[in-house]
Amino acid sequence: MEISEIIHEQSYTRQIIENKNSYYGFYNAGSMSEFDVIVVGAGPAGASAAIKLASAKANVLLVDRADPPGSKNVSGGVLWGDSLSQVAPDWEKGPVERYVEAKGVSFLTKDSRISIDFRSKKFGEYKSGYTVLRTKFDAWLAKKAKDSGAMVVSGVTVDRLSMKDGKVIGVEQGGETITSDAVILAEGANSRIAIDSGIKKKPSDRNIALGIKEVIKLPEKTITDRFGLSSAKMGFASEYVLGFLEGGVRAGGFLYTNKESLSIGAVISMGDLRKNNQTYSFNIIEQFKEHPFIAPLLEGGRVEEYSAHLVPEGGLTVDSIYGKGYMIAGDAAGFTFSNGLVLQGMNYAVVSGIVAADSFLQRKEKGIEAGANFSNYMDNLSGTFVMKDMKNFKGVDAVTWSKSIHQTIPAIAEEAMLNIFSENGEPKKHMLKILLKSMAGRKESKKELAVDLYRMMRRL
Amino acid sequence: MTLEIVVMIKQVPDSQEVVIDPVTFTLNRSAARNVINPADENAIEAALRIKDKEKDVHITVITMGPPFAETALIDAMARGVDDAILVSDRAFAGADTYPTGLTLAATITRMGKFDIIFAGEESTDSSTGHVGPGVAEFLGIEQASYTSSTWIEDEFVYADRELEDGIETVRMKSPCLITVLTNSNVPRNPTLRMKIDSIKKGIKTWSLADIGLKPEWVGLKGSPTIVKSMRTINEKKREGKKFKAGEMDKFVDELVSKGILKL
Amino acid sequence: MKIEERLSLLNYKIDKSYEHITVNPSICETCPDHFCTFACPAKCYSLIDKKLNFKYEDCVECGTCDTACSHGSVAWTNTKGGHGVKYKFG
Repeated sequence: MEISEIIHEQSYTRQIIENKNSYYGFYNAGSMSEFDVIVVGAGPAGASAAIKLASAKANVLLVDRADPPGSKNVSGGVLWGDSLSQVAPDWEKGPVERYVEAKGVSFLTKDSRISIDFRSKKFGEYKSGYTVLRTKFDAWLAKKAKDSGAMVVSGVTVDRLSMKDGKVIGVEQGGETITSDAVILAEGANSRIAIDSGIKKKPSDRNIALGIKEVIKLPEKTITDRFGLSSAKMGFASEYVLGFLEGGVRAGGFLYTNKESLSIGAVISMGDLRKNNQTYSFNIIEQFKEHPFIAPLLEGGRVEEYSAHLVPEGGLTVDSIYGKGYMIAGDAAGFTFSNGLVLQGMNYAVVSGIVAADSFLQRKEKGIEAGANFSNYMDNLSGTFVMKDMKNFKGVDAVTWSKSIHQTIPAIAEEAMLNIFSENGEPKKHMLKILLKSMAGRKESKKELAVDLYRMMRRL
Repeated sequence: MTLEIVVMIKQVPDSQEVVIDPVTFTLNRSAARNVINPADENAIEAALRIKDKEKDVHITVITMGPPFAETALIDAMARGVDDAILVSDRAFAGADTYPTGLTLAATITRMGKFDIIFAGEESTDSSTGHVGPGVAEFLGIEQASYTSSTWIEDEFVYADRELEDGIETVRMKSPCLITVLTNSNVPRNPTLRMKIDSIKKGIKTWSLADIGLKPEWVGLKGSPTIVKSMRTINEKKREGKKFKAGEMDKFVDELVSKGILKL
Repeated sequence: MKIEERLSLLNYKIDKSYEHITVNPSICETCPDHFCTFACPAKCYSLIDKKLNFKYEDCVECGTCDTACSHGSVAWTNTKGGHGVKYKFG
């Protein structure tokens, strides 16, 4: 055998031995539980929690029902901020797609587009975000967790939390209980375990929206040129208000650039879709793609993947994000934010996962008992932007999904713009006059618009 | 006495993800993630069903492959397989079916006593079906290929072979080798308990030195197959035409005129 | 692009021994809205001769139908053993 092969073999064996040692835990001496913490769900929340815990030498199991881990995870695709660097300092060198240097917000009417296209050199100083494709990204994060010493199990579906005397003592799978001092539930928006364990209600139309997405393949250079980006590492991310959809179904759109593909999708109001009851959800994204100002951006592209996922809406969707022996993190807790300008979830997931891990470690230091109440999780989260945003923007969904945002304002703006820019041989009018005239011509009550505008000022 | 079963498995690129390059029309395997070869999952299940029924059965799963094949072995253990051996060495690279069979046969010999060896009928990435029967030949034991079920009765090993014109039941003395048809059973799922235990237990990794073969017998050097050239078959143009229920004659005429049907 | 075409791009590991979602036909028979047929993004629910037809094989496991059905017909569980949809990009 060549020397390089011997080294290869040895390092591989050593890695196995090291991993094995870590499984037997360092904290676990006084506890009866098999694991310190079982983390359910290998998304940004779960993996961040597992990395944090394993790095602190806790005995942690990260279990994901997909195999490989992350292959059932979907999101629009921008990971905003830099919270992940707390557990994965090199994440920007991981499988990220493009750094967002251009951010757009557009209102689309049937024939027009009214946009803000924001580009700033200051995006070099202020961290914006990276576009990511979750299957790759989450597998990378799960690997990080494994390398940190967590045991990672994929392809097994946890059935429910295991309860004893009102406390969570581990998880149940296939009729067997795996015990732990704490469970961090990070199973995502479609939270079956929380629902089946009786700690979360089935979501109603009000607290979820339906996200539908396509990944469209395009050459790297085409994307860079088409979106006016400064290099192949730089990206564009835009949200859209889709005010033109058939049947008046309200939906938001998004379009993000990856290295060699675009992520395009729609987030659809369940309540609207139900009221309408004749528009097929899967056709809405096609209407978006065919819009005269979207189609040219996709030209020449080939659809590589179609996906759908629930999007939590309206903030916290559980009565309590913690209890005896458990904490809920990420989408499962309802930690998402959308105000029409940005759609965020992954950064909240990362932070809540880390804080959940910290909260466990904090309790552990003081000699935790199995099934302790993790009220400190809430306290610790309150100091972060996660809970602050949840509080400050409570009720923002009323604005995001308002008729004003989706129809009235775009229509008024369109009419006003046409008046301002079309040359019809008449003398120019004042801007205010044009706006008032546009508004006066509308059927919608001015009161409704005023209420929505007031809400907007307060909440955005 | 313990009944020793060996299951030979292979990791292959997920055939659902192997895409055809739209420009060059060649297979792009690199886009595909690895999975356990589907027929091998059925082979594992066939072995486990014997373990379910018989007393004192010990199953070892083996594979020749790179270190990341550990995932497949752990998965097999989590379904109920007792032990796993990964035979991994740079020297094995580039092996065709001949040295692969030899390597696996040497591994099994090195393991000691064995009664039944299971393998999938063929792998989805090369579809030769050579390796299983090859191992039986190297070991000089009886074999039954393309089987749909296996059982033990009066110290004999029985297997149903699914052939084109019927099912043939064969009776063999152990040791013997059996290759298992894809979809001949529904593989069970790993459980969390068993996944955890399998990861804790770990797999054994053997190198070329461990199985006592010479470097020139394995890998590319030991492979008699030489690929002279490869061509892509051009896709035939397809067309669609509709015929009404009463136009059978027209339909037949059309097929004849296109040369699809010969009268 | 037709939904069937889009779904054909997906990699599924279909579980032949377990249907993770089931519907109650007697409830669907009297359903006034069949909202599931509009809501499900994978067209798993369709009306054939005015009768609800459900297939679990195309499911992308989003959970939409569980909320969409307000009549209690849908019984939703997770897929098991790594079965179901397996995204490449996500």
